[in-house]
Amino acid sequence: MTSGTAMRDIAVAAAALAILIAVPFLVHSPAFLDYIIRIAAMSLFATSLNLLVGGTGLVSFGHGMFYGLGAYAFALLMQRTQISLAAAAGCSLVISALVGLAVGAVCIRLRAIYFAFVTLAMQMLFYSIIITWQSLTGGDQGLQGGIPRRVLFGFDLNSQFHLYTVSAVVMVVGLLLLRHVSASPLGATLRMIRDNEPRTAFLGVTVWRAKLTAFVIAGVFASLGGILAALFVSGAYPELANWPISGQAIFAVMLGGVSTFLGPLAGAAILLALGDAVTRFTEYNGMVLGLVILFVTLGLRRGVLDVLTEALRRRRTGPAAGAAE
Amino acid sequence: MTKTDQRITLRRRPLLAGAAAALATPFVARAQGTAKSGTVKVGMPTILSGAIALLGTSQRNAAEMEIERINAAGGLAGRKIELVVRDSKGQPQEAARVVRELVNTDGCEIIMDAEASSAAFAVQEVIRDLGVLCIHTSSETSSLTADPKLRVATAFRCARQGVHDSIVGGSYAAKVADAKKWTKWATCSPDYAYGHDTTTQFLDFFKHFKPDVEIITQAWPKLGAPDFTEVITKLIQAKPQALFSLLYAGDLSAFINQANVYALFSNMAMFDPNMGDYPVLTAVKSLPAGIYSGTRYLENFPDLPANAAWGEAYRKRFNQFPTNWSWQNSTAWMLAEAAAKKAGSLDAKKMSEALTGLTIDCPFGVGGKVTMRDDHTLVNYAVGWGRTTPKMPYVIDIEAGDWKQLYELEAAWKKQMNYT
Repeated sequence: MTSGTAMRDIAVAAAALAILIAVPFLVHSPAFLDYIIRIAAMSLFATSLNLLVGGTGLVSFGHGMFYGLGAYAFALLMQRTQISLAAAAGCSLVISALVGLAVGAVCIRLRAIYFAFVTLAMQMLFYSIIITWQSLTGGDQGLQGGIPRRVLFGFDLNSQFHLYTVSAVVMVVGLLLLRHVSASPLGATLRMIRDNEPRTAFLGVTVWRAKLTAFVIAGVFASLGGILAALFVSGAYPELANWPISGQAIFAVMLGGVSTFLGPLAGAAILLALGDAVTRFTEYNGMVLGLVILFVTLGLRRGVLDVLTEALRRRRTGPAAGAAE
Repeated sequence: MTKTDQRITLRRRPLLAGAAAALATPFVARAQGTAKSGTVKVGMPTILSGAIALLGTSQRNAAEMEIERINAAGGLAGRKIELVVRDSKGQPQEAARVVRELVNTDGCEIIMDAEASSAAFAVQEVIRDLGVLCIHTSSETSSLTADPKLRVATAFRCARQGVHDSIVGGSYAAKVADAKKWTKWATCSPDYAYGHDTTTQFLDFFKHFKPDVEIITQAWPKLGAPDFTEVITKLIQAKPQALFSLLYAGDLSAFINQANVYALFSNMAMFDPNMGDYPVLTAVKSLPAGIYSGTRYLENFPDLPANAAWGEAYRKRFNQFPTNWSWQNSTAWMLAEAAAKKAGSLDAKKMSEALTGLTIDCPFGVGGKVTMRDDHTLVNYAVGWGRTTPKMPYVIDIEAGDWKQLYELEAAWKKQMNYT
C-alpha cells in the first residue's frame, strides 16, 4: 500500500464522516438516522465477511456467529458488570478474537464446501448454546431488560443522535481499518492464496497463518457490527446469532459485489432499504426479496457495485478497451 | 460496448431511478407521516408471515372489527383511528426497527404491540426510549410486567400470562387428580425456555395443591418436531396415570394425531393449557373426548351473550374462528377507548394514568369485566379448564379459575421471585 492511496482513503473516509455528521443538521429524519445505525452494523459485518469471501476465497456460512457473539458478549458485560461502555466493547472484541482463533484453527485447514459447512456447524453450535444456557443468555427470550447505555466519551447513547454519531464514526473507522488490511501485504497474500494456494505456499508463505489471521480479523470486525446491533435494539436476541443472519451478510456481499471494497457496504445499504421498503407495502417480503436475488444472480451475474465500477472504468478508458477484454 | 449493451443500459436508467425512489420512501414518508387532521395513527407490529402468521392475522382481524366500532362511535378522544400494521417476521431486531419506524416516520401515537415472546421485550425497550403509549397484546411471559426492572411507565400488557395459567392449571389438575386418585404424572413440553420454565412453574403450583404427586418421566420434544413417536413410546412405557403438556399450536395437533395411533389417550389422561383455542381444536383430525384443556379462547367461556355474539360476528366476517390473540387484541382496543374517554386526550402520560387501575365492561372478563391492574397487566379475564369433545363447542364442563386464590398465590410468587 502506498502512502498516497492510504492518504486518499483517509481523505475519503473523513469526507464521508463529515457528510454523515452534517446530515442530521440539514434534514430531520429519525428514520434516516436509524437506517444509518443499522447500515453501520450490517456493513461492518458484511465487509468483514468479504475479507474472507472476496479477499481470501473462504466462503464462510457461519460468520453470523461473530455478529451474535459481539452482541451477546457486549450486552452481558453491560448488564452484569459496571465497566464503561468502551471497556465492555473492547472486552467483547478480545473475546471474539479468542473465539475466532479457536474456531479458525479448526476450520481454516478445510477447503471450499467443507470450510463452508464447518463454519455453519460452528454457528449452529453457538446458537444452541445460547438457546440452552438460559441462566446466562435468557434462552430463546433473549437478554431482557435493555442495555444500560452508559455515556461514551461525552456521548449519551440514550439519545438517537448521539448513537447515530457514534455508529457513523465506528463504521467509517472500522471500514477504513478493513480497507487498510485488504491493501496491506497481508491482503495481497490473502488474494494470492485465493487465486492459487499451492503456488503461494511454494513461495514460502505459511498459508494457514495468513488464513487464520484473516479469520480472526474478520471475526473481530463482525462482532463490532454485532455490538452496534445490540446497542440499536438495546438487547441481544438469539436471532442475531442464528444462521439466517449469516445468509443476510452473504447476500449483502453478493448483491453489492465481491471485488469492490465498498461492495458489501452498498449491498448492505440496498438490502436494508429494500427490506424496509417492501415491509411497508406488503407482508410477502420473502417473495419480493427472492425475486430481487434472482434478478441479481441471473440478470447482473455480479454485484451492483462491481457492475457500476466496471461501467465507469469502461467509460474512462473508452469503448475500445472495454471491448478488448 | 456494443449497441445492444447501450440499449440495455439506457433502459436500465428509468428502472434504477424507480428503484431508488422506492427505496428512499421511508425517509421522505415523514412529510406524509403525520396523521390527517382529526385522525390518530396506531401502529401494530406483528407476525404476518411464516409458521405463526395466524398470530398476526387473527389480531389484525380483531383490530379491524374494534376500530370500525370505535370510529363509528366517534373515535378515540374524538379522533378517528388509522391503523398501520407491519410485519416483523417475529424477529426482535426487526420488531424494534418497525416500532421506531411506526412512531418516527409514520407518526403513530399509540403502539398495539402484537409481537410474541422475545420481540415483545425488544418492543418494550423501544417504548422506554420513545415514551409513546404501548399495549402488548400477545406476550404471555410474566416477567414483562411482573419484574419492576422491566416495567415501562407507558407500556401495558393486555394478555393472559404464564403464572396465571400455571396457578389455575395447578389448582384444577390437583382437584381432578384428588378425585381420580392420580398420583403418577408425566410431563411433555417443548424443549426451550417457555417449555421448561412454565412446566416447572406449573409443577410448583400443582404440588402446592397436591403434595403427594410423583413425576415419573419428563419428555422434551424439539420445537416443530415432525415425529413424536419416540416421545409417545417413552410416555406409554413409563405408564403414568396423567400427562401434563405445554405443547401448543401445530406441535400439539401433530402430537395428538400421532398419539391417537398409539392409543395413548386410553392409557393416560392429558392436561394441556394450550388446547382450548379453535385453531388447535379444529386442526386435530379426530379430537379425543376428555382431554383436560385450558380455555384460551372459546365462544362458550365465559358464558356471556356478549362473548358468544362477538365470536359469531368474527366468524361470520372472516370465515374462520377467532383465537386467544383475537380476544386479547380486542380487549386492548376496548381499554384504549375507555382510557381515552377518561383522559380526554391521547397524550401518552395522561392515557397511561387513565389506564392504570381501569376497569371496563368486556365480553371476555369474569362477570363481564376486566381490569388493567396497577402493575400494568390485565386481570380478571376469563381463565378456566374443561374437557374436550369432538364437536362444537369442543370444550365442555368448564370450571372457572378462582381469581381470589390466583391473586394470593401470584403475590407469593412475586415475592419469591424478588419482584416486590
